[in-house]
Amino acid sequence: MFDAGVHEYRETYWAPGYQPRETDLLAAFRLIPQPEVAAEEAAAAVAAESSTATWTTVWTDRLTMLERYQARAYSLEPVPGRQGQYLACIAYPLELFEEGSVTSMMASITGNVFGFKAIRALRLEDLRVPVAYVKTFQGPPTGIQVERDKLNKYGRPLLGATLKPKLGLSPRNYGRACFELLRGGLDFTKDDENITSQPFMRWGDRYQFVMEAVRKAEQETGERKGHYLNVTAPDCEQMLERAEFARQLGSPIIMHDYLVGGFAAHTTLSRWCRRNGMLLHVHRALHAVVDRQKDHGIHFRVLAKWLRLAGGDHLHTGTVVGKLEGDREATLGVVDLLREDFVPADRGRGIYFDQEWASLPAVLPAASGGIHVWHMPALVEIFGDDSVLQFGGGSAGHPQGSRAGATANRVALEACVQARNEGRDLTAEGPQILKQAASQSPELAAALDTWREIRFEFEAVDTPDVMQA
Amino acid sequence: MRLETFSYLPRLSAGQLTQQIRSILSRHLVVGIEYTSAPDPHDHYWTMWKLPLFGTHDPAAVVAELDACRQANPDAYIKINGYDPVRQGQVVSFVASQPQRGA
Repeated sequence: MFDAGVHEYRETYWAPGYQPRETDLLAAFRLIPQPEVAAEEAAAAVAAESSTATWTTVWTDRLTMLERYQARAYSLEPVPGRQGQYLACIAYPLELFEEGSVTSMMASITGNVFGFKAIRALRLEDLRVPVAYVKTFQGPPTGIQVERDKLNKYGRPLLGATLKPKLGLSPRNYGRACFELLRGGLDFTKDDENITSQPFMRWGDRYQFVMEAVRKAEQETGERKGHYLNVTAPDCEQMLERAEFARQLGSPIIMHDYLVGGFAAHTTLSRWCRRNGMLLHVHRALHAVVDRQKDHGIHFRVLAKWLRLAGGDHLHTGTVVGKLEGDREATLGVVDLLREDFVPADRGRGIYFDQEWASLPAVLPAASGGIHVWHMPALVEIFGDDSVLQFGGGSAGHPQGSRAGATANRVALEACVQARNEGRDLTAEGPQILKQAASQSPELAAALDTWREIRFEFEAVDTPDVMQA
Repeated sequence: MRLETFSYLPRLSAGQLTQQIRSILSRHLVVGIEYTSAPDPHDHYWTMWKLPLFGTHDPAAVVAELDACRQANPDAYIKINGYDPVRQGQVVSFVASQPQRGA
């Protein structure tokens, strides 16, 4: 018999004794129920609406075994110091998701629940992707080690810069800006996210001038160089057309804005990069709209995990020390999630679940935004060798121009790496190490004078509220 | 011309070179020495000077091999690499010696 009507979600979807299975996908939500809604009911509603339920029972429920497909809210705890907030963990059976599909995961887990009336606000803090599911994804096209091997760059962070001004240069002048930075000592230059194919600089013209600059800088320096050619386009056909032209010109790397372009387009491009031996730099425009506010949205660590699954060789993560938002511990947690093969739960970093990556290639974190030479010791200390440090204004803003600015950054970087390897403490001795190196480098000396006083010291908006297990 | 890591610093002194080698060995990496007379950014395979120095823990032994390589190949650029068998790749590499003339 069919028992029509509305039932409380918790009757079916609140399962406090449930032991998650190894193959379950687990999600940790920060949950703020409406004042009149019990926390268990709100947690159960999230589990229900992101899996098998709708607001009323339907007769077709009886044609299937819902227990096999239903998500279960299995734990609930108050967030310390945040009245009315709870951390709810939900387990999803693996059958709910399509193989190799971030879009499937997103549509299920972040579907309609974020707009559910019974919930005032909801934030996806973390996601445990089970190994069985990880193995259905391609992941990064190249990975850190093979990128280093291809480019012959070892034992130090890579250096990049975004070309400035970000808008308005002609293709030939843009190529000049690129050439000066590369010959000065950077490994990479980068299109800013705003640069796609505007009237002042069409993509094909840009690619040709920039690749001439890359080739010439390689000949002059004897080092491998690259420019992240942005292939983010109005549609997938044009995206692939741009990628193909970059390949024909011999570019080692292209760039995509994964959130703006969307996961389906991004995954297509990532697979194209794997087939064509192309490195993929990934920008994250839009992320702060989704991830910055504590109470509602998706934490960046989840967006970063999705990127590692869909595939990318570099991903912007924030700098900890520059002009952009980023709590130190949370950022370090994201860096681990991109680079390590196993990342243990660590609530101080906002990581609620162990994550096993099962040999999925690793992603280089890119630190970019308001950083300059004085930050170099801290950046080398924080990010270690496997990172890309990007100095846009911090290179082209040098009083003697881009080439000198690039050299200043390269000298500072190598001096910090040398000192670290000698066992010196970069945090304590950073300024001395830089000054010592500047005595041999007029470019670095001028850079140290230019940026001495600039600091960006604001409290991070999004800090993990530590919830001990 | 530049030759990647440390090529923007003054040449390493003997003492500084030993410290870099000690840092490679202390990370349990395997040291390898390679040389070429014509560095090219697209060339991944310089000539190996003997096999990687498996089981070598003394920086002085590495320096002795570097000197021997330099004596046998006075016109060569010589690299010191650190291999990480766990990661299955090189993680350190820098040019430790350049031809006396030129550069």
